[in-house]
Amino acid sequence: MQNPYIPYPVVVDKIITEVDTKDIKTFRFKFVNPEDEAKYAYIPGQFGELSIYGKGESPIGIASSPTQKGYIEFTVQKAGVVTTALHEMEEGTLMGIRGPLGNSWPLEYLEGKNIVIVGGGFAFTTLRSMINYALHEDNRKRFGNITVVYGARNPGLLLYKEELEAWSKRSDINLNVTVDKGDATWKGREGFVPAVCKDVAPSKDNAVALICGPPVMIRFTLPVFFELGFSKENIITSLEMRMKCGIGKCGRCNVGSKYVCKDGPVFSLAQLDELTPEY
Amino acid sequence: MEKRLIKKDALAGIAKKMAGDVLVWAPVKQEDNVLFKPLRADDEPFFAYLNSKNAPKNVFFPHTETLMKYTRTEKGMVFSEEVNDAPQSVLFGVRPCDAHSFVLLDKLFDQEKYKDGYYIAKRRNTTVITLACVKPPYTSCFCTSVDGEPVSSDGADILLTDIGGDYLVEFVTEKGEKLAKYFGDTQADAAADAKKNEIAAKAKEAIASKIPAHEVKPILDKNFDNPFWDTIHRKCLACGTCTYLCPTCHCFDISDEVTEVEGVRIRSWDSCMFPLFTKETSGHNPRTSQKERWRQRAMHKFKYYIDMFNAIACVGCGRCVMYCPVNIDIRKIVTDISKL
Repeated sequence: MQNPYIPYPVVVDKIITEVDTKDIKTFRFKFVNPEDEAKYAYIPGQFGELSIYGKGESPIGIASSPTQKGYIEFTVQKAGVVTTALHEMEEGTLMGIRGPLGNSWPLEYLEGKNIVIVGGGFAFTTLRSMINYALHEDNRKRFGNITVVYGARNPGLLLYKEELEAWSKRSDINLNVTVDKGDATWKGREGFVPAVCKDVAPSKDNAVALICGPPVMIRFTLPVFFELGFSKENIITSLEMRMKCGIGKCGRCNVGSKYVCKDGPVFSLAQLDELTPEY
Repeated sequence: MEKRLIKKDALAGIAKKMAGDVLVWAPVKQEDNVLFKPLRADDEPFFAYLNSKNAPKNVFFPHTETLMKYTRTEKGMVFSEEVNDAPQSVLFGVRPCDAHSFVLLDKLFDQEKYKDGYYIAKRRNTTVITLACVKPPYTSCFCTSVDGEPVSSDGADILLTDIGGDYLVEFVTEKGEKLAKYFGDTQADAAADAKKNEIAAKAKEAIASKIPAHEVKPILDKNFDNPFWDTIHRKCLACGTCTYLCPTCHCFDISDEVTEVEGVRIRSWDSCMFPLFTKETSGHNPRTSQKERWRQRAMHKFKYYIDMFNAIACVGCGRCVMYCPVNIDIRKIVTDISKL
């Protein structure tokens, strides 16, 4: 059995600078041993521990979709010791990833339902994994309408610009990209995510909302969805906590009787109501 | 299973003889403390001890442990899994409370989905010999309140009970029976058994310190925000002594230690009492003060572990009570919670 503490060796295959401020990059990794890719079978919403020897590990949501074969992607903001070292890496460098860790977006539950995806800023990464998964020709029929509201502070901070462009041309996804404040070239929507959600007003019928973003966005978006009639069971989010082991042992991400790393990171609002408010 | 008798003064010799064949951890006097140490040829095991200062959890979950090694190449780091070195071992003469702690730690480290191979390998290859407490060693002992007993085979492969001139040797598991050859050939009779039961009942009676540990779970379920939590932490220094000495505390950190060309990834004990334990890169800390950290400690032991594993994560050894530098007493905390 794979030792869960030992990372799979990967090589940095491609680095994409996502934003104008250059502090968010997407790292595409290839497994050094091709057979490891199958062992690392993941589901959208799961995360991995990016492992840089001598620096440590950082838990990051998986940004690619399992339908994208041959590589795995993580979008990482430069913040602490590990992510700073990662941002200084060059293509071709060897490092490691552990996982896949945690639960995932509840794919079985989402099957046959309309999906409303709301993302703010940098918290869009595992939602992007979900969108690419659901839009894949093998999966599209399994889900109903897909509505996306994605916002960033300004156009330069939007992630995955090429994909947003490609999605906008499809008829099987209702994509609403917004920025708090546009610039001279911005032709799209302006406005905060909660306001756009109110405007788009997705129906609660047979629908589940997946919402990720900064706390302030969550705080103002939830009332909109309550107003639209979404139940707490059908509003689902992903938590972040400080983590080390990722497998429910080291104790760091213990919230109430759950470990965010193994029982989460994905929880419905109904589940969060049961959890002690300490995250 | 089989039961035998050995002369009381034979015990040290048995431990030493065993140490000639396998790795034996036994209580050894070290300066003013008694600690479990790998017994070397010139060491004298000290079985007339009360309890070891440190809980013997380090036998399975060392204070610091290498998870993997790596070397630097031009292309980056290449790693190798640290070979899980778990020799056949005997943990000789632990107290019943500490043996009980292994059963509790197994629930966490040996779960169905995520198995901790480092812990499990050592646990599997180690035979636990428990030395019963025929007299409770300390006034702060409260094992009987947390599912333990001073004479108990819980967590033991072999149980030794002092019944006067002899030790009654009870082989509790097959793993324990494999060491039968070291324990002479005197079969225990019914009288020895009766004597042991009598001693066990007396010892249990003698545990005077009692806490309502089983009553507090439903109270904790409802009192996360009770003002009570504002009171208990005030004198806490956040030194972490309670968690380091605790037989069931198991939180750890993972860190890298490197030189120019090679390095190791290690795990080492950590503590929920430390502010940095939960501090995130953004600066956000879900447990902002010692209040939240103390609540976590109490909740984890007397509520969360029950929710997760249906067991209280405390064995009543009393180490945290004895060694807290500011006399915070978990027994008083639990008693106070029961009155909320």
